[in-house]
Amino acid sequence: MIPELGHVALIIALQLALLQGILGLAGASRDNAAWMAMARGAAGGQLLFVALGFLALVWSFLVNDFSVMNVADHSSRFLPVEYRITAAWGSHEGSFLLWTLLMSAWTVAVVMLGRQLPADLHARVIGIMGLLSFCFLAYLLFTSNPFMRLHPPPANGSDLNPLLQDPGMIIHPPLLYMGYVGFSVAFAFAIAALISGKLDEAWARWVRPWTLMAWVFLTLGVMVGSWWAYYELGWGGWWFWDPSENASLMPWLAGTALVHSLAVTEQRGALRVWTVFLALAAFALSLLGTFLVRSGVLSSVHAFALDPLRGLFILIFLGILIGASLILFARRAGAVKTAGDFGTISRETALLTGNVLLLAALATVLLGTLYPLILDAFGLGKISVGPPYFNAVFVPMMVPALLLLGIAPWMRWGRESLTELLPRLRWQAAAAVLIGLALPFAFAEWKWQAALGLALAAWMILATISGLVVRRRAAGGLPLAAYGMGCAHVGLAIGVIGMGLVSAYQSEKTVAMQPGDSASLGQYEFVFRGAEEVPAANYSAMRGTVELKKQGQTVATLLPEKRIYRSSRITMTEAAIRYGFVGDVYVAMGEPLPGGTWSMQLYLKPFVGWLWGGALLMALGGLLAALNLRNKGAME
Amino acid sequence: MNPWIGVGACVVVALVFLLVPLWRQKSALAGRRNAVRWPALGVLGVLPALTVGLYLYLGAPAIIQEQALTQAQSNYDVDGMVKALEDKLKATPNDPEGWYALGRAYIAFERYAEAEDALRKATTQAPKDAKIIAQYAEAMALKQGRLDGRPLELVQEALEISYEETKALELAGLAAFQKEKWAEALHYWRRLQKLLPKDTEHHEAIAQAVATAERKLDLSLGGTGMPLPPPSAEPKKAPH
Repeated sequence: MIPELGHVALIIALQLALLQGILGLAGASRDNAAWMAMARGAAGGQLLFVALGFLALVWSFLVNDFSVMNVADHSSRFLPVEYRITAAWGSHEGSFLLWTLLMSAWTVAVVMLGRQLPADLHARVIGIMGLLSFCFLAYLLFTSNPFMRLHPPPANGSDLNPLLQDPGMIIHPPLLYMGYVGFSVAFAFAIAALISGKLDEAWARWVRPWTLMAWVFLTLGVMVGSWWAYYELGWGGWWFWDPSENASLMPWLAGTALVHSLAVTEQRGALRVWTVFLALAAFALSLLGTFLVRSGVLSSVHAFALDPLRGLFILIFLGILIGASLILFARRAGAVKTAGDFGTISRETALLTGNVLLLAALATVLLGTLYPLILDAFGLGKISVGPPYFNAVFVPMMVPALLLLGIAPWMRWGRESLTELLPRLRWQAAAAVLIGLALPFAFAEWKWQAALGLALAAWMILATISGLVVRRRAAGGLPLAAYGMGCAHVGLAIGVIGMGLVSAYQSEKTVAMQPGDSASLGQYEFVFRGAEEVPAANYSAMRGTVELKKQGQTVATLLPEKRIYRSSRITMTEAAIRYGFVGDVYVAMGEPLPGGTWSMQLYLKPFVGWLWGGALLMALGGLLAALNLRNKGAME
Repeated sequence: MNPWIGVGACVVVALVFLLVPLWRQKSALAGRRNAVRWPALGVLGVLPALTVGLYLYLGAPAIIQEQALTQAQSNYDVDGMVKALEDKLKATPNDPEGWYALGRAYIAFERYAEAEDALRKATTQAPKDAKIIAQYAEAMALKQGRLDGRPLELVQEALEISYEETKALELAGLAAFQKEKWAEALHYWRRLQKLLPKDTEHHEAIAQAVATAERKLDLSLGGTGMPLPPPSAEPKKAPH
């Protein structure tokens, strides 16, 4: 009964989304207030019905209704309650339902908060978001229906992928999707601007806080994903250049570029066409990312072909969306009046250069992610594109962008003289070089990765903070958005410190240990006290006890686990981590060897936590800026 | 509940979301009645029809009836049987086998008080039938929630009449097991296991119980190192 009502709710939401799209766009072009009002009502109804559908699915998972195929495939009686709820978005179908739910929530937010917008722009944005929702709901209902039924139902389900039975997985997808879907607002604003040909500073002022909020969510989503991979996958890596990670990095890079070009458009009226292009790109890449991860194309190109309807729908949808928006862009970009002249050396140029570097880096990631898939799809052979490629191509492109990040906030809008500006930054530059050269000596060995990371980070922090101080003195105060910028840039610097130091100085060791054995790594001594069986509701685990000693003193007891999940018989490694300000100690259990011996993996990860701390600061900076701009927008 | 009532309610709510904003615009559109009429009529006509059509195409409305039907059928059959038996025993109350069958049916429905009543009647009518006495003991034990006392006395009584009464052997073994007299429990259950036909669920369940009791016995022996467990021996916690 409940799943059937959820199904009906999605069917109604599909129609409301279509009405929202048609009435919103037609109402705007015919200036029909009644139709525009109906489009707003449809948006509200759509949120209600998608939410009902989502709750019906969650309910089916909660009560173990295995007559719902999605529940039978992704849950089991042994699954604890909290993971039964999150299993609702652990499947392909459920995750698209979550996406649709968030999409309608953003739409209602635009309906509520955009009341002061010009009526036609407001209705167009709502209409475009309605059409996007319609596509997603149609995809959901016709190819990936979460409410398919089984009669008679199986006695038990086949369980949720153990990798997803983790707190990180509870928040990672919603955060990421909030970011992806948030970019649909910028996308809808961009399309509306192209249709009407009206794109001015006021437009940019409206889009900026929405884009910043989406960027904040996406930053947090990527951060949680990276942290989850670090503690859950059992070997302490924090970024793998895996296609599913690249899928979220690409919209993030485009979004970062968009946030900066929006600043230029809002402040100076310049780079309008470029801004529109980035808004289209950020959302298109979000879609690409979702489809890459969720269509099964990554696990195997052939899995994609197994369900031709699903694959075809995805390709057609992506094709129409990207094709139509690019055609619209090509035809109408000329109508968007370009204004705001700026010199060769100016803050505009600096931001644009940064943008180009970000997009070039994005292009390398796109190439490295898609090219192997395309080759495989056409049967032209398998190639593996991994960290060596990305580290060699991506990193050199980011270094000049980070250097620019220190200078750009110092530059004046319109025109700047380098002969005046550069001498004012000489102390910061000298200090950064000195720090980069000297600080690595404090570690075991001088390494260039550490020197580069530390020098860049020092440069970013010193230039950003001194820039804010100078501006504050000159203007007698600073808006919150300036502090937001500072916070985000310092956050990135802190992240760079983490990346530089952990990649230069991490160490690891794999040892076979019997109870009582000890092994040493760095300043630490690891004493293995044996392993015992620990049962739990949905898995049974062998839990090792490892005493961590530093200079003969026990500093911690680490309890890594090797788990076997009951329903799926999948083995998982649960690492034990001692988090620390200057680095983590990470222990994972390998394979059991005869006679109570275990192979143990020991890792030292200096400063790895700074990565996520830095990302958190970046998100906080984005939030400060969004709040500031939101208030500014509301006052007008 | 009829699922179509739910569908109807959903459609009405959806229409409210569309038509109320339209209604609010009425004053602004006073001169253009068609601007209100046509969207309203269109939505009123299309949304319900399309919802029903799409649901019939995509959904599984039949599953609700099927699920309800399967449940009703199973309820109906057993209910009918019990009712027929009750009526029959009202007409001819002197029928120990009939009371015995009714008592077992009541136990299946967890109506333990009625089961006890029915089986008491059966034992008064056939006081030397071990099967009926053992079943009476079970009903009584289920009603009071424990096996000691009167139910256990009845079990012993049944075993004295026939040492091959399966229900009595099962209950006697269970009582011993509950008192952690593993060897005694094994004695009854092994005997029972031999009597039960192989490859049945009951046989399987008893085989498992025997295995559990054997492990418990083994552990308690290993724990004390004595050939037989002393009655007060603390059993070790079994591994999972």
